[in-house]
Amino acid sequence: MSPAADLPTTDSFWNDTGRRGVAAWIFSTDHKRIGLLYLYSVLAFFLAAVILGILLRLELMAPGRTIMGPQTYNAVFTVHGVVMIFLFIIPGFPGAFGNLVMPIQIGARDVAFPRLNLFSWWLYIVGAGIILASLFTGGGPPDTGWTFYVPFSSRTGTNVSLAVFGVFVVGFSSILTGLNFVTTIHRLRAEGMTWGRLPLFVWSLYATAWVQILATPILGITLVMIIAERLLGTGLFDPARGGDPLLYQHLFWIYSHPAVYIMILPGMGVISEIMPVFSRKPIFGYKMIAFSSIAIAAAGSLVWGHHMFTSGMSDNAILVFSFLTFIVAIPSAIKVFNWVSTLYRGSISLEAPMLFSLSFILLFSIGGLTGLILGAAATDIHVHDTQFVVGHFHYVIFGGAVFAFLAAMHYWLPKFYGRRYAEKPAIVAWAMMFVGFNITYFSMMVLGMKGMPRRYYDYLPEFAPLNLASTIGSWILVAGLLLLLANLFRGLLKGEPIGKNPWGAATLEWTTTTPPPTENFEQEPVVTHGPYDFKGAGIP
Amino acid sequence: MRKIGDIIRDMARASVIISPRPCRLVPAVLLLLLLTASFCGAHTEEQLEKHRHGGAPIGEGAAAPLGVDEHLGARIPLDLTFRDDNGRQVRLAELVNGPTIILPVYYGCTNVCNFQQQGLASALPAVTRIPVKEYRVLSVSFDENETPVQAGHAKKMYLAGMNAPFPADGWHFLTGDALNVRRLTDAAGIQFRRAGRDFIHPVTSFVVARDGTIVRYLYGTTYLPKDLTLALLEARDGKVGTTIRTVVGYCFSFDPTAKTYVFNLLRVSATVVILSAGGFLAFLLLAGRKRRIRQPGGE
Repeated sequence: MSPAADLPTTDSFWNDTGRRGVAAWIFSTDHKRIGLLYLYSVLAFFLAAVILGILLRLELMAPGRTIMGPQTYNAVFTVHGVVMIFLFIIPGFPGAFGNLVMPIQIGARDVAFPRLNLFSWWLYIVGAGIILASLFTGGGPPDTGWTFYVPFSSRTGTNVSLAVFGVFVVGFSSILTGLNFVTTIHRLRAEGMTWGRLPLFVWSLYATAWVQILATPILGITLVMIIAERLLGTGLFDPARGGDPLLYQHLFWIYSHPAVYIMILPGMGVISEIMPVFSRKPIFGYKMIAFSSIAIAAAGSLVWGHHMFTSGMSDNAILVFSFLTFIVAIPSAIKVFNWVSTLYRGSISLEAPMLFSLSFILLFSIGGLTGLILGAAATDIHVHDTQFVVGHFHYVIFGGAVFAFLAAMHYWLPKFYGRRYAEKPAIVAWAMMFVGFNITYFSMMVLGMKGMPRRYYDYLPEFAPLNLASTIGSWILVAGLLLLLANLFRGLLKGEPIGKNPWGAATLEWTTTTPPPTENFEQEPVVTHGPYDFKGAGIP
Repeated sequence: MRKIGDIIRDMARASVIISPRPCRLVPAVLLLLLLTASFCGAHTEEQLEKHRHGGAPIGEGAAAPLGVDEHLGARIPLDLTFRDDNGRQVRLAELVNGPTIILPVYYGCTNVCNFQQQGLASALPAVTRIPVKEYRVLSVSFDENETPVQAGHAKKMYLAGMNAPFPADGWHFLTGDALNVRRLTDAAGIQFRRAGRDFIHPVTSFVVARDGTIVRYLYGTTYLPKDLTLALLEARDGKVGTTIRTVVGYCFSFDPTAKTYVFNLLRVSATVVILSAGGFLAFLLLAGRKRRIRQPGGE
């Protein structure tokens, strides 16, 4: 895993003395090593879930049974969702890039609680192990969908209890990471690193961390209630016994809607870092972008009911939730307008991180605007539980969060490996992914508008052509992804060496040596300028 | 395992009534039991309630089984005779000459049968198949005392409730004697029981092909036009499908007071989370930035 020996890495964190072999990684309290542990763990789960996604698309390539029956299909889409959401994208940004970059960006030597940080990773791995075990034990992989809706989840014979327990454990990992990051950002900023000089990625992680702290316990409670329902028959969600099935949906979405912001907010932070660097211009509207992260986290915590318009809530509740949902669009749009304004009259350089960021803006905007179609009560009734929702969600999470994750990989990983990827294959891979992505998911949105429901392995013959298109799109998308990963990791191990600051960025992580030393800086930095003040940083 | 749950629930309820501060102990007891039970392993999973989707009211004596025992792929006897809504004697074979949706109901029902038939009536106009030519609907009363006059009323009501033109020959409302009714419901695995003037019965319907083969069961009172179209297409092709939606709403009396313990559990946990997070933020704001003393050689 270590970069080649011809780099000036004598004091880099790769050469940290102490434990040897695997133990030097899995017991390390260095935030960079933990960040890389997270990165490779989440990538492994990402690739596994991508394979499941491809299988789902293969099944839907033609009407009727193609490669699997209904029960298998139910299990595959459930596991695809659970792994992607709970094991990849929720821990992905904070765990991998939050750990790798955030402490250096604020000029700290490490996070506030390094041992707790390692413990979080271990909890994540243990939880993931339990989820994996649920696939092969008991009644087999869960078939409830990643939302575990009752009453089905409290009755199905599949191994829901164990899977839910795994998600419960992973949830604790998320809470501890949130606590750690909030404390780090409050307590460990370097001299001169005022709140107004925090990089926007750190602001977004700060907002995310609060959502992790406040919302994740509710998920924990809800999951415990499902287990209680299944194993003890408490009847909490069973109307025949005085419980309330709608209560489950409320509790689940009180966590899971804000969780969408855990997934996307750090992605927005990444874009806010990349935009100014590749436009050679200070970010437009720093304060508004920082504020909008907090506003999204706050407003986003109040909109969970928009998942339940068809579940039998009162019309008043629907009206309020619909209104609040529209409110979230405001801070999101503030970000988009500020990114676009940053581009205005900038000296734009279209390298891989920038291409991913630009496509993020387009795809996220489509995802966000289709979110308003779902947030408006009237149109939601029409498209609820259709492929439209699947398309919308993938535009936000794949087109948004994952594209930002890939941008971050191209932008920051060279700093930690000391070598960079080849530009041309990266651009080809980006183009393939962008084209494949739109074919795959736009088709789904059209199918949903026409009335094709989600979560069925079969469909009416009239939906066949668009489903075929979507499946072919998924092949282009995955081919692009594989090319991207191959080129990136080949470059990190064997590519051209880079200096301290290959992109010409003004944030702190680019002022230290490449790769950074164990304690991040030779000398404690004193911050004298803002994160996007290129002139102040002496960058031409 | 269910018994433990019942005990906890009863304890919780009792504490609501007796104690002014009801639920302090319940969450703790619950958590303890839960943790113990969760380690009993995955094998204690409640087995899938195989095709017992009946909305049988809780508390009724269970003399005979109730619900649906799906007989997918089996055939219903087409030699059965019923009376249609004009009082004419008909053999099932005369009516089942293509894909057919059959609803076991009774016309005197004051509850779900109405919702079920109205649900179907509102979905049928959106089904893309042509009635009579490509499919037909049969409501069959399992109350042997009902008459074609009652069936005729029902027909008038539901065809009018459709708000779209629908041929009278497309939906028949049948009545019959106990023997014929039993043979039909037994063949379809539908178990029901008379309870006073009413019936306890599952809310279900099923789709048969031209030869009487059962290709799909449809549960509940709401029908999606797509489910219906798909079932009719499968019936046309003679493919036996799987059940799409197996969960049926219960018919129950809602007692909001009995839910107090659930909300107390939530109120307690929410307060704990909010207070801890608030305290944490207050500490961070008061403590400010940590003064760092650089010590060579680490922490």
